[in-house]
Amino acid sequence: MIARTLLAASALLLAGGALTQSGLAQSRAPADRPFMPAGLAQDNIEVTVNFTGSSVVLFANTPQPENETSGLAVALIGPVSTQKMIRRTASGEEVIEFISAPSVFAVGSEPQLATSVLPETLASVGLDPGASAQPRADQLISPDLPAWRAAFVELKREEGLYVLNAADITRFDGGLHRATIALPFNAPPGEYRVRAVAFRNGVPVGETNQALVLARGGLDATLFDLSRQHGLVYGFVAVLLGALVGGIGAWFGRK
Amino acid sequence: MLIHLPIAQIAVDPLILVTIGMLVGFLSGMFGVGGGFLLTPLLIFYGIPPAVAVSTQANQVLATSIAGVSSHWRDRLVDTKLGMLMLAGGLAGSSIGVGIFTLLKVFGLIDTTVTVLYIVFLTVIGGLMAWESVGALRGSGGDPGRRTRLRAWTRVLPMKRRFPRSGLYISIIPPIAIGFFVGMLAAILGIGGGFILAPAMVYLLGVPTRVMIGTSLFQIIFLTAYVTFLQAAFNGTVDLILAGVLMIGGVIGARYGAMAGRRLKAAQLRLLLAVLVLGIAGRLIYELYVEPTPEYRLEQAQ
Repeated sequence: MIARTLLAASALLLAGGALTQSGLAQSRAPADRPFMPAGLAQDNIEVTVNFTGSSVVLFANTPQPENETSGLAVALIGPVSTQKMIRRTASGEEVIEFISAPSVFAVGSEPQLATSVLPETLASVGLDPGASAQPRADQLISPDLPAWRAAFVELKREEGLYVLNAADITRFDGGLHRATIALPFNAPPGEYRVRAVAFRNGVPVGETNQALVLARGGLDATLFDLSRQHGLVYGFVAVLLGALVGGIGAWFGRK
Repeated sequence: MLIHLPIAQIAVDPLILVTIGMLVGFLSGMFGVGGGFLLTPLLIFYGIPPAVAVSTQANQVLATSIAGVSSHWRDRLVDTKLGMLMLAGGLAGSSIGVGIFTLLKVFGLIDTTVTVLYIVFLTVIGGLMAWESVGALRGSGGDPGRRTRLRAWTRVLPMKRRFPRSGLYISIIPPIAIGFFVGMLAAILGIGGGFILAPAMVYLLGVPTRVMIGTSLFQIIFLTAYVTFLQAAFNGTVDLILAGVLMIGGVIGARYGAMAGRRLKAAQLRLLLAVLVLGIAGRLIYELYVEPTPEYRLEQAQ
């Protein structure tokens, strides 16, 4: 009990520290959905050559009092990009363009929310991967939009970038929660946000958004920047590398 | 152990990539083909994005071709004069091919054209090689004779030159024309063209199989260096970490491939190459007519 209390206290301190140190602003919750105190253990993750995935840890304090329907749902969302989707039909191909679709959507919640929160409610608070991809304005009224979105989520799930039940949420005394969300190994660098929403009786009662940056570092960053900013140099380096390794191979062959 | 690829943006097992590189390098050293037609689908199958796979394979093939050609060079089995002529034709042909590729793309015919061309060429070349090499194995097991009607054209055209390494006295027009045609096809099909060039050298020009291997690799070095530079400099799709790991396996494989090739009869080599080419054709036919294509697919919008 003492250990749990200490853990909770240190976690809150950590959360508070992250909140004060992080220069990344939290979005304000709507008036009827109070701000929920929360913080990330680490708001900047470096992608290096030995990056094989990571985990994001969020500490959040859910509004009190709680009952048996109270719980927390979290999602790691980002970076947003434009993605084109093609559907094969009997007469050819159809295309839809999602002008704003997160590359990664890892979501999870406490088990009691599965029965107490409606899917529509999850979608309304931005925790439904199926509703995250936004098409062009002229394609918003397409009757096939739900089918397109469902297929989009399925393809992303196959890539391992959209994950359901991705969070491991632990509840401590006094409404403190620790949510650990798995960050896929193929998550692209960019700006992410960790969104958490607290529910009671199936209704959202608090929310928070925490910014997270997945940034390249070390050799990974050097090579990527070189390829994007100094293409000609990168081209020469690529040819030189091939010639060098081939030459070494030829030299070893003579031994 | 996994490593993260900076351009492909995924984590991969380097041991699997070294093995893939070794396998393709072995075939490259043995048959004198670049191996891109095998490496690209293997990389895509492993999860590398297609654009990165297509570009990076050229860089890997560059290294394995240099490693592979060295032993043939030492054995004086590289006809540089012939290789340069074909390369000149190849570079011109690929420039025209890029234009045709763009036109086909504009008219929405590229996918069908590429697949059908691939299947036709692979089946015809593989079938003819298998037929001829089986016949040769029943006889002497050496190179196809120098009397065939297929090669009569190389003797009647003007601007004849001697190619001592290949033991040929032929017009320079056929090697340039073959290089041009192969370069054009290579640009349309997005491959190095070694699997088309190699049999063309043997059957149409009469280059001895063993000289063909070294000469083909010699030409591939320049072609892949050109493609690598363009893809890396202007598209940024060459992943140097991926290429480096593939190269390690590739140069080892290429050495052993060249050694294995020397232990086989010329006709046996041609038969094995024919089996490989027919195998790729079979896979394409399966993909086109048997395997169901997914209803939906995703593309990163530009």
